[in-house]
Amino acid sequence: MNDTAPPADIDPVDRLTILAAALPGAAVRQRHIAAPFDAVWRVIADLEHATPRYEPDVAQVRVIERHGQLLRLLVQDTGGREEMVDAKLRPGWCLMQSATVVVAFAARRVGSQTLLAHLEHRRVQTPEPGQSRSYYRRAAEAKIDQELQTIERLATQNDAE
Amino acid sequence: MVAAAQQGDALALDQLLDELAPYVRRLCARIAPAAADDATQEALLAIFRGLPSLRAPEAIMTWVRSVTMRTAMRLARQPDQEVAAGPALADRYVPSFEGLADIDDALARLPPSQRAVLVLRTREGLSEQEIAATLGIPAGTVKSRLHRARAAFREMWES
Repeated sequence: MNDTAPPADIDPVDRLTILAAALPGAAVRQRHIAAPFDAVWRVIADLEHATPRYEPDVAQVRVIERHGQLLRLLVQDTGGREEMVDAKLRPGWCLMQSATVVVAFAARRVGSQTLLAHLEHRRVQTPEPGQSRSYYRRAAEAKIDQELQTIERLATQNDAE
Repeated sequence: MVAAAQQGDALALDQLLDELAPYVRRLCARIAPAAADDATQEALLAIFRGLPSLRAPEAIMTWVRSVTMRTAMRLARQPDQEVAAGPALADRYVPSFEGLADIDDALARLPPSQRAVLVLRTREGLSEQEIAATLGIPAGTVKSRLHRARAAFREMWES
């Protein structure tokens, strides 16, 4: 993996929009979080402790390697299955990828608040008979909205402490 | 990396974006200086949306250049379209030479169609055939636009 410095002039939220354009079927939602950027990013960057609190399918996250922005994680889901995840993490940008899913967060300062964008994408799409692609998208977007609300609650608690 | 990005490898896509963005931004800043940020974002969106269907990954830079130039020229023309009527009139546009600061300033005062051929010829080092392929126009049109652009540019410096 090549750890090169990113061009500073691509806004992370714009970057997430570009990434989504190359991932057909990716679900993306944004939320204005009523907390400062640093408080929001403390939640996102705390992968081991915060992820299981906002992601309902995740039971445990362990960082097993870290080289600058690049991380390797071992993620255990609520059914006990483990999956290796490669991640890139820097302030405002978090991209995680396993063999089956892509998850990304992007944050932008908006005054004293934060615009947080969240992407989820299933790399292997296996629709069940009778369910349309739009059904899955709506379900994914509802799940992301719920996660963004939880992140806002965690960030607001962070900011108050 | 391009092949992995085409297969939906998000980390490869992220790295490809880091590599392409400076080039796309540089072209957009030269062709559409007043709308460089919007042009860069629109061009990158078009590039990444089209990436999975790119048939010749080894020719990615040629394709990226073509998508970027067309996007930047469209955005550069947008203010002109309110007062002029399309590229034919834009080609006859007479630039103002007052208060010229530098070469980039002079380039910015040319109509977008002339600016594009001059940038591709002098800054990017493309041949007339390559410019024609990039912009999707006949080689004869490239030649005539280059001639008019050089004449206008020379007049600016000598005035």
